[in-house]
Amino acid sequence: MEKLYLIARIADTRVALRSRAINSVVTVGIPVEVPGAPPHVAGLFALRSRVFTLIDPHVVIGLPPVPVAAGQRVIVVDVADHGYALLADAIEDVCFIEAPETRVAGKLLPGWARVADGMIEHQGASLLVVDPSHFVTLPVMKAA
Amino acid sequence: MLRLQFLGRTGTVIDDLLNDFLAETAEILGDAGGALVAWEADPVDRAQLDAIFRLVHTIKGSSGFLALPRVTALSHAAEDALDQVRRGNRPANAALVTGVLGIIDRLNIVCAALGKDGVEPAGDDSDIIAALAEQDSTTETGYEVAGVQLRRDDDFQAELQSWRSIRVPLPLLDSVMTGVTDIVLARNEFARMLRDSCASPTVIASFDRLSDSIAGMRQSVSQMRMQRIDKLFAPLPRIVRDLAQDMGKKIAFQTSGGEVELDREMMENIRDPLIHIVRNAIDHGIEALEDRVAAGKDITAIISVSARQSGNQIEIEIRDDGRGMSPDELVAKAIASRTITAAEARTLSAKDKLELVFRPGFSTAAKITEVSGRGVGMDIVKANVEKIGGVVELRNDEGRGLTILLRVPMTLTIISGLMVRAAGQYFAIPRGAVREILLENGDTVRIDRVGGGEWATVRGEQYPLLRLETVLGREASDDDDVDDRALVIVRPGQGQSYALSVAAIHDHEELVIKPAAPMIMATGLYAGTTLPDNGRPVLLLDVQGLVAAAEIDATETGRNHDQMAAAEAQANAARNAAQLLLFRDANGRVRGVPLSVIERVEEVPASALFESAGRVQAQIGDEIFPVHTANLPDAKGSLKLLRLFDGQSVLCYPIAEVIDIVRLPDAVQPSAVPGLIAGVVLVSGEPVELIDPFWLMAQYAIETATPVLTQLLCRLADDHDGWGDNFLAPILRNAGYRVVSGDDAADEAPNVLLCLTEDGASCVHIGDEIPVIRLRSAVAAAGPDDETVYRYDRQALLDALARRIGGGRA
Repeated sequence: MEKLYLIARIADTRVALRSRAINSVVTVGIPVEVPGAPPHVAGLFALRSRVFTLIDPHVVIGLPPVPVAAGQRVIVVDVADHGYALLADAIEDVCFIEAPETRVAGKLLPGWARVADGMIEHQGASLLVVDPSHFVTLPVMKAA
Repeated sequence: MLRLQFLGRTGTVIDDLLNDFLAETAEILGDAGGALVAWEADPVDRAQLDAIFRLVHTIKGSSGFLALPRVTALSHAAEDALDQVRRGNRPANAALVTGVLGIIDRLNIVCAALGKDGVEPAGDDSDIIAALAEQDSTTETGYEVAGVQLRRDDDFQAELQSWRSIRVPLPLLDSVMTGVTDIVLARNEFARMLRDSCASPTVIASFDRLSDSIAGMRQSVSQMRMQRIDKLFAPLPRIVRDLAQDMGKKIAFQTSGGEVELDREMMENIRDPLIHIVRNAIDHGIEALEDRVAAGKDITAIISVSARQSGNQIEIEIRDDGRGMSPDELVAKAIASRTITAAEARTLSAKDKLELVFRPGFSTAAKITEVSGRGVGMDIVKANVEKIGGVVELRNDEGRGLTILLRVPMTLTIISGLMVRAAGQYFAIPRGAVREILLENGDTVRIDRVGGGEWATVRGEQYPLLRLETVLGREASDDDDVDDRALVIVRPGQGQSYALSVAAIHDHEELVIKPAAPMIMATGLYAGTTLPDNGRPVLLLDVQGLVAAAEIDATETGRNHDQMAAAEAQANAARNAAQLLLFRDANGRVRGVPLSVIERVEEVPASALFESAGRVQAQIGDEIFPVHTANLPDAKGSLKLLRLFDGQSVLCYPIAEVIDIVRLPDAVQPSAVPGLIAGVVLVSGEPVELIDPFWLMAQYAIETATPVLTQLLCRLADDHDGWGDNFLAPILRNAGYRVVSGDDAADEAPNVLLCLTEDGASCVHIGDEIPVIRLRSAVAAAGPDDETVYRYDRQALLDALARRIGGGRA
């Protein structure tokens, strides 16, 4: 369980998310907009009679926001008893990765540096290990 | 130690608290055990560690005020060890986890006994506390983690049964609530179908009956969950007292608004934050006695907790008059504890700096105390309050105190809501705040656009107009039909109202409100989210927040200009009419004096009155005024003086008390001879003597000095021996002249020159522009042409002055 990771493309980057932090992966319809909310709030949607807040990781990283397409997959996480969902560009795989997490040695873009916990080697590629809650709680980067 | 058994029999608050504590602790210990094991498997997981730490901290906090020394000592030991790990002073290893688990087991045993007997069993825990403390030196773990026995479910059941009171677990209450919610939603849908189906009246009638009983049930369930906030405040006085004693501080604790009702679930969620805040206030906020004295404050500090309802929200304010928070110190500590970098610190606003206290693991205390721990409070406070859709606000007044405001929604239950549309999406407005709904282009509505603002006038009443799209920063949707636009007259609170313009009104619905995510609540525009039966989430508007967001003044006072103008005119008329101040004089008679001649009413100590030259005078400030009274008052203490002012001089008239201000009646019965009393009037059927200010001022007019600017200037020349200064000048001043002496070159040309020597050498060159009066020292005049004045002939001198330059007074 501890070594189980969700491999996804978030904000144009392949990342590994610890499966423990993730509630589920679902598809959403068109979310309900929240006028006046911070820019990384992409909207609200309902799932099993709960209301979830949709977060656009692009904005958190400092990229321009992307429109939400119907049927897009989102990663549902619980942070401080509130339900959130991260927009994912693509969900690739759920797999065990035996390799240890290593610290981020190189220099990341500032947006990513704030959310990345470490790196992990998987099938010949290095993935960023990110904590989904960081996308929710961190203040939004100003878009460059 | 407190004998809980005894208290239990009397069924006191403490008894309830103990039961609450046991239920909560059993739950926490269960969670903590599981969390610990999970954390041990992944020691780098900071969040898990923080969670465990908070759980243990909560037990410690709750046990502290119930006076359970064993529980406190045990949880403190665990907390301490975990804190060492949080600070990086101690490695997170199996040994530590085993030690903490040992403590959790012991806590379970103690609490089980506590539940059965009502008292904390005697016993010694130093063995396992020492074991935990020592383990940082040992690297080998002597324990098999998997072998540690955690609390079993059947134990928990047994514990539950042993408690006397019936506790309805919140989940059960919640499930009742959810059930009712579903019933309500189903009813709504059914009602809609019934309307469309043209069902027979009998079906509709019986449906209505069902509908009514559902509404009744919903009401009861909501009430079941509501509790007076008193219950939340109940443990606080005790906490304050005990802590204040421990820390040698004097604290007066006040609560108010205990009658405000709050949803039970909300209550559970803000209980700990509230206790944390109060503890923090005592520990960190209130200064030590000597510091308070040094700061010029009262030795007894004040902590007040008050609750009030504001629309759909409850505000709980915790205010202390301690030292407040220092933003710069906070930053320094945050940098020292590596919470932020120095570079980040520079970008922080004053508000951001204060909010550093909400960072996990941040401590404001210079040293760690057992009382409020390590500043862990504030991050938990914020997390707990936000969890239920609330907001924590800090109002810091550095050096003078800190006010923490918790704003939480009143209920998570069902409210009746009005669904409206704007910018192509639906929003809900709490029905309770809606006063009226009108079509925007209806006959009764007039909309004015003035200077960029909009006002709606409905049947003569004017409201500031908000367009929902504008407040939300959206454009009106193209699909909207202008004829659908509606005005919702919203009354967000007492004495406030505004008109909210929306694209369309949809319908009424019973809505189950859930808090929205903190960043959405932080916009201040929304009070929560709800899920109507179409399955699309809808935001509940915060009708009070919209006012703030739109920056309008929604208060109703002075709204209506006609009324305001009328009121002002009336007030003016009333002001212009002669008014009479009724007072009781020193002899107990009721008298009146026109208000317009009264400058003000002075209250002076009796010692300010003194007698001088047969007249009573009063010293007020550094001025002296005549007083109209024959004798000095005998009374000690203070007395009231009416200050009559005629534009030039002041006269004081002693009174016993002011009675009233009334309109001066038109009919005055004048007195026969001029005197103090000008006449008698009837006020409310009682005769009142009217003081004649004209006569009164005339009596004292001589005493008063002419205003400084019109005073003439006398210059004393050749005053070689100071006689002029010492003898002459006072007489002249008394007569109303100003005097400059000697040969100092005055800026202002004198009106008259007084030569104090007969030869008057220096007076010669002055010329003719300035009149000169020469004084002689001989009594007899030198001859018929001698115009000099004998220097001790006061009257002749004053006459000469009056003749030459006028002014002065006889």
